Amino acid sequence: MLRAFRSELTKLRSFRVLAGGAAMIAATAALSYFALNEATSNPSSALARALPTQQGLIILLSSHAQTLLIAIAIIVVAANVAAEWSQGTLRNLLVREPGRLRLLAGKMLALLLFVTISAALALLIGAGVALAAAQSHGISTTLWTSSDGMSAFFSFFGNVLLGLVGVSLLGMLIAVLTRSTGAAIGISLAYALVGEGLVDAVWPDGGQWFPVHLFGYLPGVTSPMSYGAPPMGYSSDLIVALVWMAGFIVVSGVLFRFRDVSA
Amino acid sequence: MTLHAETSQTSQASSRSSGNSLAIETHGLSKHFGQRKAVDGLTISVPGGAITGFVGPNGAGKTTTIRMLLGLIRPSSGSATVLGQTISHPRAYLPRVGALIESPAFYPSLSGRKNLEVLAQLGGHSRSRISQVLEIVGLSDRGSDLVGKYSLGMKQRLGLAMALLPDPDLLVLDEPANGLDPLGIIEMRDLLRSLREQGKTIFISSHWLGELEQVAGWLVMLNQGKAVFNGPARDLVDGRGELIVTAEEATQIELVARIAIAAGYVVTPENGSLRITCPIDWAEELNRRAREAGATGIAIRAREASLEESFLAMLKGDH
Repeated sequence: MLRAFRSELTKLRSFRVLAGGAAMIAATAALSYFALNEATSNPSSALARALPTQQGLIILLSSHAQTLLIAIAIIVVAANVAAEWSQGTLRNLLVREPGRLRLLAGKMLALLLFVTISAALALLIGAGVALAAAQSHGISTTLWTSSDGMSAFFSFFGNVLLGLVGVSLLGMLIAVLTRSTGAAIGISLAYALVGEGLVDAVWPDGGQWFPVHLFGYLPGVTSPMSYGAPPMGYSSDLIVALVWMAGFIVVSGVLFRFRDVSA
Repeated sequence: MTLHAETSQTSQASSRSSGNSLAIETHGLSKHFGQRKAVDGLTISVPGGAITGFVGPNGAGKTTTIRMLLGLIRPSSGSATVLGQTISHPRAYLPRVGALIESPAFYPSLSGRKNLEVLAQLGGHSRSRISQVLEIVGLSDRGSDLVGKYSLGMKQRLGLAMALLPDPDLLVLDEPANGLDPLGIIEMRDLLRSLREQGKTIFISSHWLGELEQVAGWLVMLNQGKAVFNGPARDLVDGRGELIVTAEEATQIELVARIAIAAGYVVTPENGSLRITCPIDWAEELNRRAREAGATGIAIRAREASLEESFLAMLKGDH
């Protein structure tokens, strides 16, 4: 598995992938800056009212950036995994590493590392930009950087990353199911950004238990913006989210292990 | 004819084959995709240490067989071993196998060297091996270029470099000459011979029968998922060919034509001569019958069939 992990890292160290990671960081920083501007230009908004609280910084980051990070994470993983079929490179990999589960596990570990490091940097740099921008707008950041404020920030930070791991595992499952880059990206985005929203609209009680909602709720324990706080409570949210993640791993593993590779 | 040069390879292969050192062996191997039988009860044996040509028309089941041997797809029934290990445990033999399957596949946004590095990391091969294989396939000076900018021939060379990475005992090559220019084909042929001299087994699927004829000592021929020939390449072409009969008098030609047709052979008149498609050792019998019939002024010349002609004759069921 270590070999598969290192092999995948070799691919991820390419200019295009690193440029994509840098773009994600820049976009997150830009979104937190725009969120701050939005709040200051409309002082009666919920966002503006939340700014002077301990959760001000988190709310700036979660108002737009969380959805962006979810979309990017699911695209990166789904596209990367499905491309092995679309490009035909999977057969090269399986000849060198016939242990299919080891290959998938090593590959996913590298991808999860890439997604979480990129997201962590995006959140930290976005937070830095938000702090600097807030100070330049004359907004007090004392509560944001207080002990309670930082504790809330790191709780949010950890939960966003955990949610992104879940979304990435969903991306893996969609890639293994579709075995096509275009289909994997399309279905992933449609499901994450629209699909569950539709389920939620027609079946709100059930929709909240669907995976992207559950992953999105996780940071909501510290931030009411974006997906909001988990209606079922954090513990239930966490447990069911972990069950979904385990399910994605098991189903992907079984399909990847036993399906013919004819691409 | 070039196959004569491969006789020693064939006899070595035959002795290895009988000495139970088969590189590949299948028994009733089948793969069905729904109702379609891509491979149907295939039983073949490929000797170690030889170059084996794996030939057949499009859709004969060559690539499906190769994929089963490499553990990429599961057989519907039957069994097979590669390097003495059952194909249900590819981990036991794939580290000793190098493969180029169909058109080579790469990460286009990575350089040739990086593409090799991805596989070298995965297979646990050293970085120095990457430089070695780039040198072997003549891509040392283009290794840093993005694969997306490679020509078809360069991609084929890089695919071969990938197959050579593990310094394999068995090299499985699916259409390796695709996209190569004439010089590249000659280099590929020399490389295959040099690898064989190192004791490696090469299993090569190709439509280029003329090329295979020059290197392959053993042949496996597939048609509609079944093996129609499996043995020394010499055996396939041995005795197969045509007799060219010339005579000063047209009546004698007509007489010979009647004798050949009566014996069940195809006769083609050509510029006052006759081409008789038959085993070339029938020349003696033809000569005797022609003399008995009064055609004494004829000349018979034998022309041995090429691999391609033998292949086509075999496919037509002309054994």
